[in-house]
Amino acid sequence: MFEFFVRSLDASTIFTIAAIGELIGQRSGVLNVGVEGIMLFGATLGFIVAQATGSYLLGFLAGIAIGALLGLLHGFFSVTLGGDQVVSGMGIWIMGFGLTTYIGNPYTGPLGMDRIPSVLGLSPFFFVGLALVILTKFVLSKTSLGLKIRSVGENPSVAEVSGVKVAKTRYYSSITGGMLMGFAGAVYALNYNPVWNYNFLMGWGFIALALVFFSMWNPYILMAGSLLFGTLWQLSLNPQLVLPGLFSRYIWRTVPFGITLIVLFSMSMKWFRTRWGAAKPDALGQPYLKEE
Amino acid sequence: MRIAGYKLTLAKRETLSGLQASMISVLAVLTALLLFSLIFIQADVNPLEAYKEIFDYAFFNSYGLPLTINRFIFLLLSTCAFIIPFRAGLWNIGMTGQLYAGSLSAFAVMYAFGVKDAKSAEYPALIIIPLMILAAALGAMIIASIAGYLRGKYNVNEIVVTMMLNFITFWLVSFMIKDGGLFMNPGGRGESFELPASLYAPLYKGVPFTLIFALGFAFFLHWLFAKTKLGYQIRAYGENPTGAEYAGISTVRIPLLVFIMGGALAGLAGYHYFAAVPGVYKIARSYAFLGDLAFYGIICGLIAQANPIAAIPVALLFGGLTNGGRFVQGKMHLGFGIDYALLGVLMITLVAFQFFYRYQFALTKAEKESPDV
Repeated sequence: MFEFFVRSLDASTIFTIAAIGELIGQRSGVLNVGVEGIMLFGATLGFIVAQATGSYLLGFLAGIAIGALLGLLHGFFSVTLGGDQVVSGMGIWIMGFGLTTYIGNPYTGPLGMDRIPSVLGLSPFFFVGLALVILTKFVLSKTSLGLKIRSVGENPSVAEVSGVKVAKTRYYSSITGGMLMGFAGAVYALNYNPVWNYNFLMGWGFIALALVFFSMWNPYILMAGSLLFGTLWQLSLNPQLVLPGLFSRYIWRTVPFGITLIVLFSMSMKWFRTRWGAAKPDALGQPYLKEE
Repeated sequence: MRIAGYKLTLAKRETLSGLQASMISVLAVLTALLLFSLIFIQADVNPLEAYKEIFDYAFFNSYGLPLTINRFIFLLLSTCAFIIPFRAGLWNIGMTGQLYAGSLSAFAVMYAFGVKDAKSAEYPALIIIPLMILAAALGAMIIASIAGYLRGKYNVNEIVVTMMLNFITFWLVSFMIKDGGLFMNPGGRGESFELPASLYAPLYKGVPFTLIFALGFAFFLHWLFAKTKLGYQIRAYGENPTGAEYAGISTVRIPLLVFIMGGALAGLAGYHYFAAVPGVYKIARSYAFLGDLAFYGIICGLIAQANPIAAIPVALLFGGLTNGGRFVQGKMHLGFGIDYALLGVLMITLVAFQFFYRYQFALTKAEKESPDV
């Protein structure tokens, strides 16, 4: 049972890190629906680099670097070119899905390295995730940087007038978000499940995206949601731990996705909608083009 | 930028004619294919030779051409399934889930007629095949309508919903065809039972009759968008949902309706590939591949700029490219997933080219300036 608990925390951590990345971007008004693509890239490159060099550190750095690059690309499409952010995000997802399938295929199979040692019986990344949540909450609500990020996401033209550089802030947020998503992917491929297979994420990035909508852009709620989904995911892989014999294993695999739908549906309650509407960054998904 | 006395500037487009729009698409595809040569070069293959092999196999080979046509039908249906909601400004990335739901429903009809246990019996095809097609469309519609309803009624992001439905139906198919599921092949190979020969879809010169559906719906949609009130309402909603509401267009009905229509077409794509393509006639173990292929519907839809008629040549091209890609992968010993890589390169190139819908390069004669010192 303890093993199950630890694995659930591992899974939650990956949801948390990726979703925090998405949350930072969204707070600045940049919607990135390509989370899954960036995670796939981070996971695949992290896996390849770690296997080639034998160094976990380099693997994680590679994951973070490709994440930053894709965050930059998304920033370029959505900030500089002022294009449709959904189109760009979908592009990044499909590019990630397509290219990693081809690039990673020769590496199909286990990583073949010693496991990363645990800290106090838990994965070290759990503490990283926890620190990230607290840090993000602190920066967003207590610092001038956080105020800048939020103002750019709420009302970019007002922010610009008050001296905030909209484009720069959005770029930084998008890149930071990308780095975290790439890192989350690397944690998946190097620690949670160190076996490469094509399109192995099977929806983690999209659940992370849903978590951000559900969290009302609050890192603490986001963490709670990640814990719920991490546990659910783990349960869907090992249903025999709780309800042996009930349903086929394939039915269990649909459960996390079904619960996501139910959660999204529950957001339709009036109570939730008013709060959600108030918390939503007003300029989310809208390009900001300076008047010339 | 200045080139030999001419000045190259970036100017905002005032209008975008149909010809210009199609030029952008053609350029985007060419650029993507050019970029994709890098992957061939990296694999020590001459790109020109590779493309020649791809096109030769896809369009001029007696084995390759029928496969291309089957993929073309599948892609055209998937593309139309994407285009209908896209005209209303909504993203249907759930073609995968919808086609799984459609094929499961079609197999459920056969199961109800006892096909699983008596494969060699003669069945009344004239009754069962139309029922299978109806069931495929209906099953997919139901799955798709969830996304449309949640979007219309509660403004829930349709991308997340359709994606969740993709994964749910993916596992449902596994549930039905593996581990003793209802549709499992009695031989137990983790695939579905096979169609009896009497229920094979009618062929004309080796081409399944589903071709009529694919082409028919493409033309029907063109007519729907251009000439009917509903088409107008869909377009109006796509351009400005709030404005459409003021004009008396229901913001609940339109999203629901576009997803239902899109879903039905994706369901037909599912029927086509699992029950009408010669040599398949079952839900194979590797059914995930067709689900992935449906994502090409997004790309074809974007290249065709949501124009169902333009989607016809685009779907034919990509039916050929993916089919030929698989072939050269085997012939030239390339790594698995060439067609997936092409999918990725195309998509990101397209995204970059979106820019030219709003801007254009203008070449003007530079005014005489004093030369730089």
